[in-house]
Amino acid sequence: MKTTAELIADDPLWLSIIKVVAIFAFGVVMTLFMIWLERRVVGRMQHRPGPNRVGPFGLLQSLADGLKLAFKEDIRPVVADKWVYFLAPIISAIPAFLAFSVIPFGPDVTMFGHHTALQLVDLPVGVLVILACSSLGVYGIVLSGWASGSPYPLLGSLRSAAQVISYEIAMGLSIVGVILRSHSLSTSDIVNAQEGGWYFWLLPVSFVVYAISMVGETNRAPFDLPEAESELVGGFHTEYSSLKFALFFLAEYVNMVVVSALATTLFLGGWRAPWPLSAIDGGVLNTGWWPILWFVGKTFFFLFVFVWLRGTLPRLRYDQFMRLGWKVLVPVSLVWIVLIAASNALWNTPGVTTGQRLIFFGVGIVVLLVFALLLPDKRVADDEEFVPVTGSGYPLPPLDLSVPKSPPRRRLPAAPEPAEREMEPAAVAAADKETGDGSL
Amino acid sequence: MTGAELVFVPLGAVALGSSVLVVTTDQLVRAALWLVVALGALAGCFLLLAAELVAWVQVLIYVGAVVVLLLFGIMLTRAPIGRSVDLDSGNRVAALVVALGTAGTLVTVVVGGFRTASIDLGDGSAGSAGTVGAGLFRYWVLPFELLSVLLLAALVGAIVLSRRDIGPRARDGGED
Amino acid sequence: MSGFFSQAQQLQAPDVAYQAVLPMLLVLGAACVSVLFEAFLPRERRWGWQVALTVVTLAGAAISLIVYGNDAPKAGVKTFSDVLTIDRPTLFLWGTLLLLAFGAVLLIADRSVEPGGAFVAQAAIRPGTLQDRVQAAKVGMQTEVFPLTLFALGGMMVFCAANDLLTMFVALEVLSLPLYLMAGLARRRRLLSQEAAVKYFLLGAFASAFFLYGIALLYGYAGSVKLADIATAAAGTNRSDTLLFAGMGLLVVGLLFKASVGPFHTWTPDVYQGSPTPVTAFMAACTKVAAFGGILRVLMGAFASTNWEWRGVLWGVAIASMAIGAVLGLTQTDVKRMIAYSSVAHAGFLLVGSIALTSKGVSGTLFYLLAYGLTTVATFGIVSLVRDADGEASHLSQWAGLAKRSPIVAGVFTFLLLALAGIPLTSGFVGKFVVFSAALQSGMAPLVVVALVFSAVAAFFYLRVIVLMYFSEPAADGPTVTVPGAFTTMAITIGALATLVLGVFPSFALDWAGAGGFTF
Repeated sequence: MKTTAELIADDPLWLSIIKVVAIFAFGVVMTLFMIWLERRVVGRMQHRPGPNRVGPFGLLQSLADGLKLAFKEDIRPVVADKWVYFLAPIISAIPAFLAFSVIPFGPDVTMFGHHTALQLVDLPVGVLVILACSSLGVYGIVLSGWASGSPYPLLGSLRSAAQVISYEIAMGLSIVGVILRSHSLSTSDIVNAQEGGWYFWLLPVSFVVYAISMVGETNRAPFDLPEAESELVGGFHTEYSSLKFALFFLAEYVNMVVVSALATTLFLGGWRAPWPLSAIDGGVLNTGWWPILWFVGKTFFFLFVFVWLRGTLPRLRYDQFMRLGWKVLVPVSLVWIVLIAASNALWNTPGVTTGQRLIFFGVGIVVLLVFALLLPDKRVADDEEFVPVTGSGYPLPPLDLSVPKSPPRRRLPAAPEPAEREMEPAAVAAADKETGDGSL
Repeated sequence: MTGAELVFVPLGAVALGSSVLVVTTDQLVRAALWLVVALGALAGCFLLLAAELVAWVQVLIYVGAVVVLLLFGIMLTRAPIGRSVDLDSGNRVAALVVALGTAGTLVTVVVGGFRTASIDLGDGSAGSAGTVGAGLFRYWVLPFELLSVLLLAALVGAIVLSRRDIGPRARDGGED
Repeated sequence: MSGFFSQAQQLQAPDVAYQAVLPMLLVLGAACVSVLFEAFLPRERRWGWQVALTVVTLAGAAISLIVYGNDAPKAGVKTFSDVLTIDRPTLFLWGTLLLLAFGAVLLIADRSVEPGGAFVAQAAIRPGTLQDRVQAAKVGMQTEVFPLTLFALGGMMVFCAANDLLTMFVALEVLSLPLYLMAGLARRRRLLSQEAAVKYFLLGAFASAFFLYGIALLYGYAGSVKLADIATAAAGTNRSDTLLFAGMGLLVVGLLFKASVGPFHTWTPDVYQGSPTPVTAFMAACTKVAAFGGILRVLMGAFASTNWEWRGVLWGVAIASMAIGAVLGLTQTDVKRMIAYSSVAHAGFLLVGSIALTSKGVSGTLFYLLAYGLTTVATFGIVSLVRDADGEASHLSQWAGLAKRSPIVAGVFTFLLLALAGIPLTSGFVGKFVVFSAALQSGMAPLVVVALVFSAVAAFFYLRVIVLMYFSEPAADGPTVTVPGAFTTMAITIGALATLVLGVFPSFALDWAGAGGFTF
């Protein structure tokens, strides 16, 4: 019996190419389908039909939209940084697809006479690769916002950078729980380790934290602050149009699919058939091509939840969102990791009976409870040491800040003193008012 | 030349070239981006040495978090598009001389020291997550724990330097 | 049930001689508890709790050190998979560090000399703003200095005991980072303090890079970062010495920077002057102990067999350091800068003992560190007492005629300066004597002569201050001498008494310092 990694290593080149194409097609088709699904489901939730004109049930709507986008004019703002503006959408799309390469879609199959696994590569550090790819994707967003050269996209990219970094920590910590149980960073090993039980109920806290942070990581509602329509017009992609805009759309939806697929892999047993089905005929449904069905089904479950959340929840305020990430998800994950490690250590220590283990845990819980009860209520005391926050201009810039020069193309030659006299009266008045404000 | 050497040469060239660009470009954000390229090329070199875990951690931490934080800092303060004239220093000639001198010395030393040396990567398990983990927690456990102490100290320091206490105000109303 | 908790092979945890490393664990553990205090205690109660915790920790660590030291194996103990060596010099250095840190903590905790303490209430407030003026009137302080002090102390303890370069590097960072921060937290003259912090940080980061590159080259040379392995590799002759000496050079530059030796001292005056005085005391005393502990261990452990090649260079460095310290110290007009240059000169003297590479050299250097550290803590305690409306009056002209205003303070300060100058009946004299005699014995007579000349030159600027204090008329608007609170009094008393005792009855401390050699 060969391991998955060995199986894949034996793949001939053409088989690998087939897999690459299949994964790419999967991503693109899922994107088109998801856009349609999202619009239909949200429509249903809002008692309206949603797109239903193009093709059966409006299925071809996203294709039509995509074609339309391709024919739109490609606009680049004058002040934009040309290269970065061009690269940003590409940078955001590529890592999204890359992450697919380590997701196991199924077990061993025979494909065109070759025995192989339904996975492009099986790295010993596969989970890290996915995390690294998702952290690379943030560059697309950050750079697009910056390179657009206008304020709303910049704000969007700032938010996005803060958001992705914050939620990546929670996500990484939730995955640590899985790794502690499966003893491997390889995705296929993690799926194999779930033979005895899926991790979503063995590691419920990790699952919940991951589920929340995957929504934050993909900038989806209710955490879609980087592109908050009502606040930032469209956030980082405000200035984009045509195919570049389409690339952002593609990246967002592929990212959704990736995190859902990863959630399936890490917590829902990957390609394993759900319980009553897995018992049929000694697990025949866990072999051959069947698992792809279960895998895609579970992934769709998560994708549906994404849409459901968007249809249900209002957007969080930025500070609430950050507080949730740093003050709830991260500490909860840390405590949970300690618990898992402690239980691992207890169960691996020889000579400890189950009764003793339970007593140990009971004592731990009691200590925690007592500690929680002893913690005093947060008292809002009068503070002798209070120093006012406002008063000398915060958050205004310091008085000696040199104002950055305007971008090169917009810069007018510095007008000499007499030139001001030649301005139109209204302009002179405006200029006077400005200088007046400045000297206040 | 072996396959690994064939890959190493362009990777090294990319790392070197982008590092030079980091310090020579006069656009702040682009400097950060070239840094990303340089770090990515280094990660590639790690991969060549079969240090898989280190390579991906490099991507995850340095490329994915540290430089993003740098960009975050740049954008929070200025976010200039185009050339930043004040990035040029009058000392650039001196800096160039010092840098070239240092580089020359180090290259001489390293080439002199390792001209005939070669590393046997074995079966590639030296850089695997299991080996690194065992090394960390068996032999290097004290430095590892000390690093967590260091990070804690840094965290405290960051809070000390940046956090304003926005507590309740004094009863008498105090100053405005 | 056991199926859930899988049976991956268990890692063998390293053996830890808990008794031996208990002082270090106590300090680091207390630092973490102290962070929790910051997080959970209401602000008005933090200072008291932090001071109590810190003092109790230092006392507990000292007690555990003494208890262990009484029956410690003479050959030393290696623990944590051999990354730490707890031998006699380690124990002496730890004891010295704990004692000096105790003195420095007393200065840090003092709130009577400067109302509210020497530390700013909220470091995040920009200097010169309205908020800054408001907070200047308040009496709070940033109590995070206590955990930071403990972190730094823990780092120093590991640094002296580290048996391999990697642990040493991590410990170096642990001891440096809190110091960078604390340098910027002064309550008065905040811009100067922040400038000092930034300078210290940038130059320190630079020095760390040197250190790290040195480690990399030495690893390339020896295939290991353990001191013993490097020594073994250096004893074999079939490898390229370029790597060894390039690596050693870079490594030693990083170490000398921390010890503020010779041409690598450029940060010292600015940082000593800008930092809050208690932090300067901590930095001047404890960092020097830790850095020279590290230098001794590295030179003895890894490079002793090749000393013919590198000793000449370190001769030059020691001479340069003494010359810079003594000559530039003459030109200073600020007391703190003057002491900073004096510390550069003293670093030169210490280096003389360190490159003797004999057991007498080690014990002499250790004794010198103890004596110098105690004197320095007391000196900075006195410096913090002389104040005017702007805070500390550190300009020398303001010290004119101090003896007429406050004979006791002037008297103690005179005594301490004499100790720094190395006059008999003070610990400074004994320290210089043992270090120089060790150097003579290992055949460094020319260096000792040079060192004696520079001692004489350096003595001149100490005497200048003494003359200024006793034989000048006090300025009309001169500074006042604050009556110190219990903490500062205690710190100064400990330092001054120890200076006297170690000067008159040095034998017991010399015995401790010479109780055993390094183990690698």
